Amino acid sequence: MDSALLPAEAADAASQFDALAAGCHDLDSLMRLKGAYLGREGSHAAGLMELLKTAPKDQKRELGAAINGLKNHWETVLRTRQSELEEARKRRAAQAAGWDPDLPPPMPNRGSLHPLNRLVDRLVEVFRPLGFHVEEGPEAENEVNNFDGLNIPEDHPARGSADTFYFEAHPELLLRTHTSPVQVRVLQRLAHQLDTLGGIRFLAPGRVYRKDEIDPTHSPMFHQVEGMLVGKGIGMHHLKGTLAFAMKGLFGPGAEVRFRPSYFPFVEPGCEVDVKCPLCGGSGCRVCKGSGWVEILGAGLVHPNVLSQAGIDPTVWSGFAFGMGVERMAMMVSQTPDLRLFFENDQRFLSTMGGLD
Amino acid sequence: MLIDLKTLCEELPALKGRDVSEVRDLLAGLGFPVDGTEAVQDTWVLEVDITANRGDVQSQRGMARDLAARLDQELAPITVTALKQGEALRPIRLEAVACSHYATAILDLPAGAGTPDEAKAFLARMGAGAKDLAAVDASNVLLHRYGHPTHAFDADKVEGELSVRWAQAGEKLVTLDGLTRELTAQDLVIADAAGPIALAGVMGGDSTKVTAETRTVLLESAWFDPRVVRAMARRHGLHTDASHRFGRGADPVMAGVARDLLAQTLQQWAGATLRSAWTVGDARLPQKSIALTREVLQRIAGEEILLADASAILRRLGCRVEGTPGLLTVMAPTWRHDLAIPEDLAEEVLRLRGYDRIPSTLPPMQGEPLALSADYRHRRRISRRLAQAGFHQCVTLGFVAPDMDAAVADPENPSSGRTLVNPLGREYSVMRSSLIPSLLEVAGRNFAQGMREVRLFEIAPTYRSTPKGPEESPSLAIFWGGARGGEDPLSRQSPLDLEGQLFLHGVLRDLGVRKEVHARRPPVWNGVAEAEALSRSWCVEVPLAEIPVEPERVIQAFAAFSRFPAMERDLSLLVDLDLGYGSLEAAVRAALAGVGELRDVRCVDVFRHKSLPEGRQAWLLRLKFQADDRTLRGEEVDGWVQRALDAATGLGAALRA
Repeated sequence: MDSALLPAEAADAASQFDALAAGCHDLDSLMRLKGAYLGREGSHAAGLMELLKTAPKDQKRELGAAINGLKNHWETVLRTRQSELEEARKRRAAQAAGWDPDLPPPMPNRGSLHPLNRLVDRLVEVFRPLGFHVEEGPEAENEVNNFDGLNIPEDHPARGSADTFYFEAHPELLLRTHTSPVQVRVLQRLAHQLDTLGGIRFLAPGRVYRKDEIDPTHSPMFHQVEGMLVGKGIGMHHLKGTLAFAMKGLFGPGAEVRFRPSYFPFVEPGCEVDVKCPLCGGSGCRVCKGSGWVEILGAGLVHPNVLSQAGIDPTVWSGFAFGMGVERMAMMVSQTPDLRLFFENDQRFLSTMGGLD
Repeated sequence: MLIDLKTLCEELPALKGRDVSEVRDLLAGLGFPVDGTEAVQDTWVLEVDITANRGDVQSQRGMARDLAARLDQELAPITVTALKQGEALRPIRLEAVACSHYATAILDLPAGAGTPDEAKAFLARMGAGAKDLAAVDASNVLLHRYGHPTHAFDADKVEGELSVRWAQAGEKLVTLDGLTRELTAQDLVIADAAGPIALAGVMGGDSTKVTAETRTVLLESAWFDPRVVRAMARRHGLHTDASHRFGRGADPVMAGVARDLLAQTLQQWAGATLRSAWTVGDARLPQKSIALTREVLQRIAGEEILLADASAILRRLGCRVEGTPGLLTVMAPTWRHDLAIPEDLAEEVLRLRGYDRIPSTLPPMQGEPLALSADYRHRRRISRRLAQAGFHQCVTLGFVAPDMDAAVADPENPSSGRTLVNPLGREYSVMRSSLIPSLLEVAGRNFAQGMREVRLFEIAPTYRSTPKGPEESPSLAIFWGGARGGEDPLSRQSPLDLEGQLFLHGVLRDLGVRKEVHARRPPVWNGVAEAEALSRSWCVEVPLAEIPVEPERVIQAFAAFSRFPAMERDLSLLVDLDLGYGSLEAAVRAALAGVGELRDVRCVDVFRHKSLPEGRQAWLLRLKFQADDRTLRGEEVDGWVQRALDAATGLGAALRA
């Protein structure tokens, strides 16, 4: 447009328009700008129309065209800016209604299973493919099941009140010192059906009590998992095969077991079982004290006296039994430095150590 | 037990030149793990774990004997001159079968009979202090070296005849440790004319002890019944080197040898002169032979082991073995009281071959595997559900303090029937009747540690006193306290003080617990941590038996459901603040008892505000109707809603405008 036709004042206003429109950051100010330039009265456009009326006749045509051009330009710019601002307003409205996806989300509740229970459940799972089910027995036991039925001599020190808790009102009852009395209970219960059943195999997890002061490695209550298998022709090789299978299930395919001779009154032969250190893989570390092996359980073939006391003929039936300390294994696997942590139940400990299954 | 490598090598020369770690591995392979090794001057001392059945390895020679069998090597001979049966200078009567055999000798000692440095050093390595009294130290050296305990009396202090007899109840003996022991008729003693002078196989008496002034000693090397010795040691709390060895079974044949060795040592060390040596009783104990068949050995070993090989191994251990086809007849050596049944022998064969050689095979599947017990699965399901619902599983001790127990006292379940006679302490003396106190202790500790929200549960047995004894039944306890939410922009933080109960009920209903079971405020007792926070929390305990077990069916029987639209009607009711919701819902349900189309009645909003009439609140009651076979008509639903409203009005409720 040829602004030379316009008075200086109007030309000046026209030249500022684009910048003013761009400077409007909301629709209100844009509407005010529109009023100032294109309004019916008092606007720049209205002023120009007045100018046109009074213009000399020969200039009217040219000036009219120039004014129209100017108005068209303003309208175009205003429309564009308006739609930009409307778009921006929509965007903001959408932003205000939604949520920043990077905000911390509300988490579903997450509790935890106690690490000791998790380990017990895991052991049950590990032995499950071999057909072991779960048997349980009471914590308050009698001496017959806790000691006599397990071939533990009458004068064995474990029977003393320095090692075993007894009940005041029932001197014949004690808190079981191991899960082995479950062996006695199950054998007695199933003795007469053994021919029909063909065999027995079970795990007996549970809480046991011994008169130990509470310290970083001792607790008067702890957990054991007992295992037993009775069948025909069962020997040490079956015990080894079973434990090797289970330890692979627990520690991975590289796990190896090692037997060392040992003695427990209710098995013969007896052994301690080591597993190749699950932490260093046998190269030697703090956990295995450099030996590459960690002691993990005690085991052996069921003593004939245990079978015969339960009414089972040891010349026909034989079996093996093993028992492991759950806390001890849990401490080894997790490298928890202090047994007491398992019984303190601090939620921070539980959330870290426990899981959902 | 301590093993001195140098002495071990003297007993088993084949060990010479072997590294201490090699010996350690050998011992571990035989079933004697080494807990520690310590270099002492020119030798090593090994701390060896031995099992309770192996009294025979409680000495340098005993351990060497097992190693010799393992390595198929010879032990060094014991260099001792057997003393001839001499004149019984004092009569010794064996009056109890618990002592079958008593070897003795009387020797004169020159003044100042001390102990050679080498012997002192050996005793020091054995963790025993030398007394520098030849008779005492020599006896000790023999004990650690050969495993047979002996004793020396000051013969001049012994009065008259000796007897080995049962004590008379109430007799007293001052033992070497200076304590006066009151004896029972189950105590076996050595007595002289004046009374007991030693607890047989356990400890000598103070009145006849050897001192620097002793000039004549009377030696004792005998065999005592292990059961009697163990009982005495326990009764008197006297666990001595001697009682450990006699208590696990000494070698009766060794009694004479040890007496000879002791006399010889005193002669060598101090120039003692023998007056006479004599023995009463019989060293032979009755022994039974053990039959080991090829089948039993093969079953236990898991592979064929030739009986000839087994026989050779057993002979190396000192057994006498007679072989016939398929059978070994074995007499155990006099030092192996632990060998009694064929399985014992099989173990010995495997042990000496090395347990590493046992093959590894999965057992055959004999019989059908059984399903996991319903109880176990029930507990596991509940635990997992609660963990998923945000609760942390706890494991706490089964015993509690009496005041904790009293906080949940039930007069029908007195603590007297659940109390231990020998607890670790009062705070661990009662088997709990409820899990709540233990859980509260845990909760208190967690609050004290700054936890904002504490959600806990435990599943464990609880105890009930019965005339027959304490009975256990598993129980579930849940605790919820603190404030929930506030960890993200969408979950407003809200204290559980008032709302917690309903939240906890949601958890219980989810588990299927009857709705009559209510969460309650925790009982608090003196001394529990964070009592104030606990008192604003909620807890509940439910016997596990009251929680429905998940049905056995893998998939439930099909239940038809309606595909016709459901109609919901809301009633906004003004009710008295003291009207129980339970009675309102029950009244509405009763009013619509015959209406099969009623599918649900529930309060979906509670409004309490000062704009409402005083003493009133508003409940928004939602009724849901649905028919199985048709679309409901508005009029019939209107009729039902009116009946519901009438029932509510009957309880003082009014429809809110």
